[in-house]
Amino acid sequence: MSKFFAGSSSESSSSDEEELYSEEEEQQKSEEEESEEEEDSDEEDEDESSDDGKPGASKFLKDQVSSDESEDEGQVTIVQSAKDKRLEGLQAVERLIDNAVKINDWSTISIEFDKLNRQVTKAIVDNKPPKSYVKAISDLEDFTNETLAKQKVTPKKFNATNAKGLNAMKQKVRKNNKEYMVEIEKFRKNKESYMMEEEEEVVVEKPRKAKPVYVDSLGPDDEEGFTVMGRGGKVLQYTPESILKHLRSFVESRGKKNTDRAEQIRIMEKLLEVATTPYQNIRVLLTLISTRFDLTSGSSTNYMSQEQWKMADLEYTKLLATLEENRNIVVLENAEEWDDDEKPPQPAAGEKLRIPGSIVSIAERLDDELTRSLQHIDPHTAEYIERLSDEQALYNNIIRGLLYVEDLRGDATLEIVQENANRLVMRRLEHIYFKPAQVVSILEEKAWSSIPNELDSEITPRSKMLDTAALVQTLSTYLFKNSVDIIRARAYLCQVYYFALHDQYYRARDMLLMSHLQETIATFNINTQILFNRTLVQVGLCAFRANLVYESQNTLQDICGSGRQKELLAQGVMIQRFSQVTPEQERLERQRQLPFHMHINLELLECVYLTCSMLLEIPLLAQTGSSPDIRKRIISKTYRRLLEFHERQIFTGPPENTRDHVMQASRALATGEWKKAAELINSIKIWELMADTEKVKQMLSEQIQEEGLRTYLFTYAPFYDTLAVGTLASMFELSERKVAAIVSKMISHEELAAALDQVNSAIIFRKGVELSRLQSLALTLSDKASGLIEANERTLEQRTQGMSNAFERPGGQGGRGGRGGRGGRGAQRGDRSGGRGRGGNQQFGGGALGSAIRA
Amino acid sequence: MADHQPPSAEAITNGITSHPTTQIAADTAAQHDLLPKLIPHLDRHLIFPLLEFLSGQEEETSLEITKTKYELLKTTNMTDYVATLWQEINDSDEIPEEFLRRREEVLQRLSLFTEETSKIDELLVNEEVTSKLRSDKVANLKFLEQEHGVTASMVDLLYDYGRFQYNCGSYQNAAHLLDQFRILSTDNDKVASATWGKLASEILTTQWDSVMEEVNKVKETIDTKLFNNPLAQLQHRTWLIHWSLFPFFNYEPARDLLAELYFSPAFINTIQTDCPWILRYLAAAVITNRSRTRNTNLYQKQLKDLVRVVRQEGYEYNDPVTDFVNALYIDFDFEEAQKKLGEAERVLKGDFFLSATADAFVESARHLISESYCKIHQRIDIKDLSARLGLNQDEGEKWIVNLIRDTRMDGKLDYKEGTVLMNHPANSVYQQVIERTKGMHFRTSVLSAAVAK
Repeated sequence: MSKFFAGSSSESSSSDEEELYSEEEEQQKSEEEESEEEEDSDEEDEDESSDDGKPGASKFLKDQVSSDESEDEGQVTIVQSAKDKRLEGLQAVERLIDNAVKINDWSTISIEFDKLNRQVTKAIVDNKPPKSYVKAISDLEDFTNETLAKQKVTPKKFNATNAKGLNAMKQKVRKNNKEYMVEIEKFRKNKESYMMEEEEEVVVEKPRKAKPVYVDSLGPDDEEGFTVMGRGGKVLQYTPESILKHLRSFVESRGKKNTDRAEQIRIMEKLLEVATTPYQNIRVLLTLISTRFDLTSGSSTNYMSQEQWKMADLEYTKLLATLEENRNIVVLENAEEWDDDEKPPQPAAGEKLRIPGSIVSIAERLDDELTRSLQHIDPHTAEYIERLSDEQALYNNIIRGLLYVEDLRGDATLEIVQENANRLVMRRLEHIYFKPAQVVSILEEKAWSSIPNELDSEITPRSKMLDTAALVQTLSTYLFKNSVDIIRARAYLCQVYYFALHDQYYRARDMLLMSHLQETIATFNINTQILFNRTLVQVGLCAFRANLVYESQNTLQDICGSGRQKELLAQGVMIQRFSQVTPEQERLERQRQLPFHMHINLELLECVYLTCSMLLEIPLLAQTGSSPDIRKRIISKTYRRLLEFHERQIFTGPPENTRDHVMQASRALATGEWKKAAELINSIKIWELMADTEKVKQMLSEQIQEEGLRTYLFTYAPFYDTLAVGTLASMFELSERKVAAIVSKMISHEELAAALDQVNSAIIFRKGVELSRLQSLALTLSDKASGLIEANERTLEQRTQGMSNAFERPGGQGGRGGRGGRGGRGAQRGDRSGGRGRGGNQQFGGGALGSAIRA
Repeated sequence: MADHQPPSAEAITNGITSHPTTQIAADTAAQHDLLPKLIPHLDRHLIFPLLEFLSGQEEETSLEITKTKYELLKTTNMTDYVATLWQEINDSDEIPEEFLRRREEVLQRLSLFTEETSKIDELLVNEEVTSKLRSDKVANLKFLEQEHGVTASMVDLLYDYGRFQYNCGSYQNAAHLLDQFRILSTDNDKVASATWGKLASEILTTQWDSVMEEVNKVKETIDTKLFNNPLAQLQHRTWLIHWSLFPFFNYEPARDLLAELYFSPAFINTIQTDCPWILRYLAAAVITNRSRTRNTNLYQKQLKDLVRVVRQEGYEYNDPVTDFVNALYIDFDFEEAQKKLGEAERVLKGDFFLSATADAFVESARHLISESYCKIHQRIDIKDLSARLGLNQDEGEKWIVNLIRDTRMDGKLDYKEGTVLMNHPANSVYQQVIERTKGMHFRTSVLSAAVAK
């Protein structure tokens, strides 16, 4: 079966299966002939037919099926688990028994009872018989006893077969019911609740599997009069007056396990049609939407089907429209329930009619459901894109809901908490922060055009919100002012993310540093930590685009160096070799995954990270390579490991993936072949994803030229006495002035023991600077000794909590950018090992700006 | 003194920036004119000298400046001067009614104030009374109230009077009154603004010693009173930085102290966050300090800090002065540095605060260039170096000889070839080891002392 039909298969009940129908009837008959083999074949038949039912044709009939429901019973048996099938079989037999009981047909009862017992052995789940079976046998026992008692007093004789059957039943029932004494006792004690709780285990699957089944519970198709029957067989009438009663019963049955929500929804749809007053409309809509949500609750893996979601979305729009028209009615979380179903509440003059409910929660729920479905749909299918297009509708509704809440807040008497508006603004922000400006402006435009003209927002006035950057700024500033803790932090991060995405590196960086979030992020919830990681990565990428290799590498280090990018960015679950992950944790992790369209391209990320690491590490390696005693500074462990691995390979083929390209480029760079390195780097395909590919490549080439020159000087300095600047310039295709500047810098920073000869424009290398073994050891020793003293001082300082100022060392103030120290380690996820605090390794992140704000 | 604080000045900023003042000059100096940036952070009265300086430089556009001055001082009590300005603008000899009336009013209020404060003034001059005053303000006030009938409102009157005097332009009186007020008042907010007022008055009367005193007081107030309001702290520091530019470049002894102040973490952060243009002054001060400071360590450290900050703020602010630092210490591009030095000189000459130090700056900057140049090069053509420094060959030679003598560098002139040979002795390993282990004994003894405590 093609996966395209996966979504619809559960409802692929076809209506055109005449042969199935007849087969079904035959089965019914054969069942009555009660032979075991027949029964087995019956099951097989069912399986077959369910397979038959799935080819393409059924897909087109999907809608039809859901609309005209009482078509035939052919669909009854179609898609059910083995367990459901058994239950279904049991129920069929029980029905037969019931019928037989009514006409006192004891021979049939006896026969069916045997069959029932045979079947029930299969259906027993952890030693508990199905509840319907318990009910059946208990009823049967009662009835048997009753009949026997009657028989004694009535002269009327049973015919022979009947009497024989009755006696046989008496024996069997007595023997059989002993086994189920406990259950029957329970049942007798409290018939209603017993049925309820017993159903629980069945219900786990029910919303998904048994959904199409509601058709049969609706009533058999042989009923001619088409009076619509309620569940209890009551005749339902849809009148405006009864709406509230219906709603009440639905609300009361909510959460109870055997309620048929699909049917309720259908009824409510009808109720909506007959509803006359806005009050009724609103009430019905509120209940209807929440019932739709209930359809999926209770199952963790599942998500709301698209139709249901769309309906809910439409109804939400309708609800908002109704509310907008009827300003005297408001929906509030803290409103009182109205108990009288007969008449709607009459508010005092000037007062508004309050209905309990939550506009905000519904919007949030819609959003969540959409996200959840996007998480589950394969992102490479057309379905995903189709689903994604629903975002517009959702966004419209979020804005509209926001407008409504803003409007309510305008009325001081209603006491709307600030939080409501915050939640919606946050949702809105979360829909736009990761998108390019053009996309957002389209989204906004469409959203505003869908909203009636007379509505306008205070937070984001219609006229002023043409500029996306301003919009993001306004929203996040609003949240920053009006909210606390997590929402505040999230808003801030969204803003930073947006800046980074739009190449405003310095603003993004300054904001991120000023927030001091890297120090506290570990205390936030995991979703916020993920957002923080995403922001960090985006800032890193932004730095790369701005040609700031060092900053970029530094920023990305924490995420990319960990080797757990996927997990840290919530873009896929890592399969861990020594996993200590319980299924529960894994489930949570899956829930956190971001939908595909929000992903940051991991390959691009890796590529940027490795390239930056290469540009920094190769000169460093060349510098330290010759003198083994200099304390080895490692910028990126990940990169070093990859490089070592690459160098160990005996044969290296042509590069295949990004990593190969970077590694081979590194090698070329290390040997001074900058052209080859540049070529390799520039041939990486993934750069195409960068906004300005050519510029990035150009920038990389330049960087490689410079770093190549540096590497060359480090590597080959010992072999030269003098070296003409002109030669170097032609070798690396740089201007002489540039070469001189680079060399000067190296000399000035004492990286290179040399001096320039201005007259001949040459570099003169100083000789005799290589250290003897003893000398370098002496240097190391002195280093170690001073390190020891520093460590001692620090220890004492910690002990005394910095009380004694004896060790105040100068130059301790934070530097911005240059140090770039972001102690982003804090973003580690605490959930892995039961939330052990992982605050360690905090560098100083605040920087100059930060301490200014703090000071 | 609320009025002394720049927010009040913001209104006129608009007036000034909308005025063609900013368009006055279109050459390099004007391009990097900081006046519009400085004005929001200065007091009305402090802006005046800046404008005066501007009018001294540009003759033909003085009318515009006069207009700006008029706008600036309109709200003050210096009615006579305002009236003169008005006359100048409107080119008439008559003084409008309005000014006369205001003048009357001012005089009236002045006499009123004098009368009202005369008593307390007398008391404070009186030896007998002042000798009885203690350091406890509350007790003092009580004592004065009991003995001489001085009430709190009378003290407040001192404040108002001081402010009034300040607005009239008689800064000396204002400073005196505010000082007296501070002795008596217990109202912290008012004392704080009185301190600001006194600072401004002292600046305007160029009493630099007391200015420095006030600067320290204000700094303390900021640190202690505002510690829980970071934003206000930032703002106040910004003001203080701007105000103290006056003593910074006009009073020699203050320079080291203020440079230190500017480089202290809190203030350097403020500069980075709020007013990166101050970096020009800082850079100029540090570079100019070169010849004066004997303490080379401190100088090196300041220079290093400066380079760091300039680099960090490069994306937010640059002008020829910072560009010079950038070219010399970050890019090591000597040609660029030379070019920037020329530009910087022009900018400095057009700057109110820096014009006096422009020559010293150029001199020091040349030193820095050649120092760094000699450090990197082994053989230098004198002709070329002289050209780089903007000198002719003879001057250049002299210059280099002086340089070698001053910095005790190891260099020799080769007269025949016209070159300088620099000898860079390798930093000996033994020297390095000695350097690294130098402070150990001291640090260890400090450590043990701390443990013993």
